[in-house]
Amino acid sequence: MTMRHKISSLLKRLCQILWQPLIAVILGFLLGSVVIMISGESPSHVYTQMFQKSFFSFYYLLQTLTRAVPITICSMGIIVAWRAGYINLGVEGQMIVGGLVSTVIAIHTSAPAFLVLILAIAGGMAAGALYALFAAFIYQKCNVSIVISTLMMNYIANYIASYFVTFPLKDPKSGIAVQSVEIPVDVRIPRVFEGHTFNWGFFITILIVAAVYFVIGKTIFGYESKMTGLNPVFANYGGVKKNNVMMSAMAFSGALAACAGMLEIFGVKYRYIDAMFISTSYAWTGLMSGLISSLHPVGAFAASIFLSGLQVGGQAIQRTTNIPLQVSTLIQSTITLFVSVKLFTDFKHRKKQKVEAGDIINGN
Amino acid sequence: METNFIFAVLNSAIRSTTPIMMAALGSSICNRAGVFNVALEGQMLIGSFTAIAVNWFTHSIFLSVICGILSGGVVASLVALLQVKYKAADMVIGTSINLLVGAFTAIMLYVLFGVKGSFKNPALLTLPKISLPVISSIPYISTLLRNFTILDYLSYVVAVIMFIYLFHTVHGYHLISVGVKSEAAESMGISSLSYRMGAVIVSGLLCGFGGVALSMGQVTLFTENMTAGRGFIGMAACNLGRNNPVMIIVASLFFGFCDAFATVAQNRIPSQITMSVPYIATVVALIVFHGERAKKVKAA
Repeated sequence: MTMRHKISSLLKRLCQILWQPLIAVILGFLLGSVVIMISGESPSHVYTQMFQKSFFSFYYLLQTLTRAVPITICSMGIIVAWRAGYINLGVEGQMIVGGLVSTVIAIHTSAPAFLVLILAIAGGMAAGALYALFAAFIYQKCNVSIVISTLMMNYIANYIASYFVTFPLKDPKSGIAVQSVEIPVDVRIPRVFEGHTFNWGFFITILIVAAVYFVIGKTIFGYESKMTGLNPVFANYGGVKKNNVMMSAMAFSGALAACAGMLEIFGVKYRYIDAMFISTSYAWTGLMSGLISSLHPVGAFAASIFLSGLQVGGQAIQRTTNIPLQVSTLIQSTITLFVSVKLFTDFKHRKKQKVEAGDIINGN
Repeated sequence: METNFIFAVLNSAIRSTTPIMMAALGSSICNRAGVFNVALEGQMLIGSFTAIAVNWFTHSIFLSVICGILSGGVVASLVALLQVKYKAADMVIGTSINLLVGAFTAIMLYVLFGVKGSFKNPALLTLPKISLPVISSIPYISTLLRNFTILDYLSYVVAVIMFIYLFHTVHGYHLISVGVKSEAAESMGISSLSYRMGAVIVSGLLCGFGGVALSMGQVTLFTENMTAGRGFIGMAACNLGRNNPVMIIVASLFFGFCDAFATVAQNRIPSQITMSVPYIATVVALIVFHGERAKKVKAA
C-alpha cells in the first residue's frame, strides 16, 4: 500500500515537473511544422525521418550521443554560473580558449603520453577558468556587466584562435583548410566501437554530470551559490561572501566549458579547426538545455541528448529534403521561449528576488 | 591626400555608427523604463532581413524601410508580452528570441531566395545617397559626408527627439519614474505595465531601423547573423552613455570608429586580428569608463 502510494506521488510529481516542458516541446514542433509546410514538405514525413536518423538507428544514435558530449558539459558550465546568479554567456569563448590551449600543449610537449594528457587537461581547464575569471574580475573591479563582457569575449576568442590556426599553428599539409596539426595518437580518447566517432568521452561526461550534481546539491559552495542566486541580500546577511562565490562559480564554469572543448578535440576531431565551436553552436545548445531543465544537471543531461538528436536529425533531413538545418534551432529556441513561461510561475512567488537578480544583470 | 584619407575613414566610421546607435537608443529607453532587454540583436536582425525581402518583392525603397522597422516592432511585442506582461526571465526570453530570429531568417533566406549564407543581387534597390547642395562642394567636408543615406541623418534626429522626449516631456518623465520606482509611479495612476511594454516595442522599432541601416546602408545584402553582436555592442554603448541619448551618440561614434578602423587596418594587419578590434574596444571602454564611475561613487 505504502509502496503504491509512493509510486503514485512520485508519478504525480514527475507530471508536475514535466507537463510544462512537454507543452513547450509540442509548441516547438508545431512552429517547426509550419515552417516545414512553407518549405513545401510534409511535416509528418520530415519528423519521422528526423527521429529515425537521430535515435532509432544504431549509427545515428551513436552520433547523437557523441554530439551530446560537448553540449552537456557546456550546459553544466552554464548551470554552475547561472545558479549563482552570474549570467555567463561566454561559454563558447571559454570552450575555444580551453580547447586551443590543450591542443597546443598536446602537440608541442614531448613527454610520456599520460603526462602530456594531464598537462593538457590542467592547462586547458586553467585557461578556460582564467578567461571566465577575467569577466568576473572586471565586474567586481569596474562594474562591467558580465552579460556583455562574456559575450564580447566569445568573438575575441574566436578571432584570436582563428589567427593562431591561420598562421603560427596551421598544419602545412592541410592546404586551404584552416586547422592545426593533429594531436599525437597516444593522447587521443579511444573510441568505443570501430568506425564510429562515439568515444569514452561520453562516460567522462556522465561522471562530470554526477560531479556537478554532487557539488551543487551537497557542498557548501553549492548551497552558497544557490542562496546568492535566489536572494543576494539574504545570502549576504547569512554571511556568504558574494565575491568568493562569484569567483569560484565563474572559474568552475569556465573550466567545465574548457573541458567540453577538450573532449570534442581529443575525442572526435583530433585537431583545432577554425570556428569549429561557432558553427556547431554547442554552447548555445547547452544553454538551451540548461534553460529547458530549469538549471537541473540531470534534467539538462537528458535535454542535451534530446536537443543533440534534433540537430543530428536536422542535418540528416537537410541532406535528403529541402529543409535547412536551422529548423532544429527554430524548434529548440521555441521550446526555451515557452518553457520560460514556466519559470514565470516559479518567479511569481519570488518577484522581489527577481528584481534583485535583474540588478545583478544590469551591473547595478 | 593623407588628410583626405583621414576624412574617408571618419566617413566610414559615421556610417557604421548608425546601426549601433539605434540599438543603443533602443536599449536606453528600455533601461529607463526598468526593463532589461537582451533581444536587441534579434530585433535588429529581423529588420535587416525584412528590409531586403520586401525590397526584392515590391521594388519599393519606402516599403522596405517601413516594413523593416515594423518587423523589429513585431518581434519586440513578443518580448513585451512574454517578458513584461508574463514576467518571464529576461535573459531566457532574450537569448531565445535572438536564436529564434537567427534560425528563422536563415530558413526564410533559403525558402524565399533558395540560397544559404547570404543573399545579394544587383536588382535590389539601394537607398539613394544624399548630397547636400552647398556643403558638398567644400573639399574635405564633401569626403566626410559622402554616401550618407537618409537613415544616417535621421538617426541623429531620432537621438535628439528621444532626448527631448525623456527629459522635457511629461510622458517621458512618467516613463523614467516607472523605471526608478514602479510602485511609486503606480500610486500616481501611471500604468507601469503599459509604459514598459511601450518602451520595449519602441526599442523594437529603433532596432528595426538599425537593422535596415545595416542591410541597406553601406551595402545592400543580407547575410546570416549579419548583426554579429551589434545589438550587444549597442547595449555597451548605452551603458557608456549612461542611458542619455546625447551621450549615446558620442559612445556609438567611438564604436563606429573602431569598426571603421578594423576595416582600414585590414591591409596591414591580418584580418583575424582587426576583426576582433571592435569587441576588444567594447570591453576596454567598459573597463575604463566604468572604473572611473565606480571610483567617483566611492569618493562621494
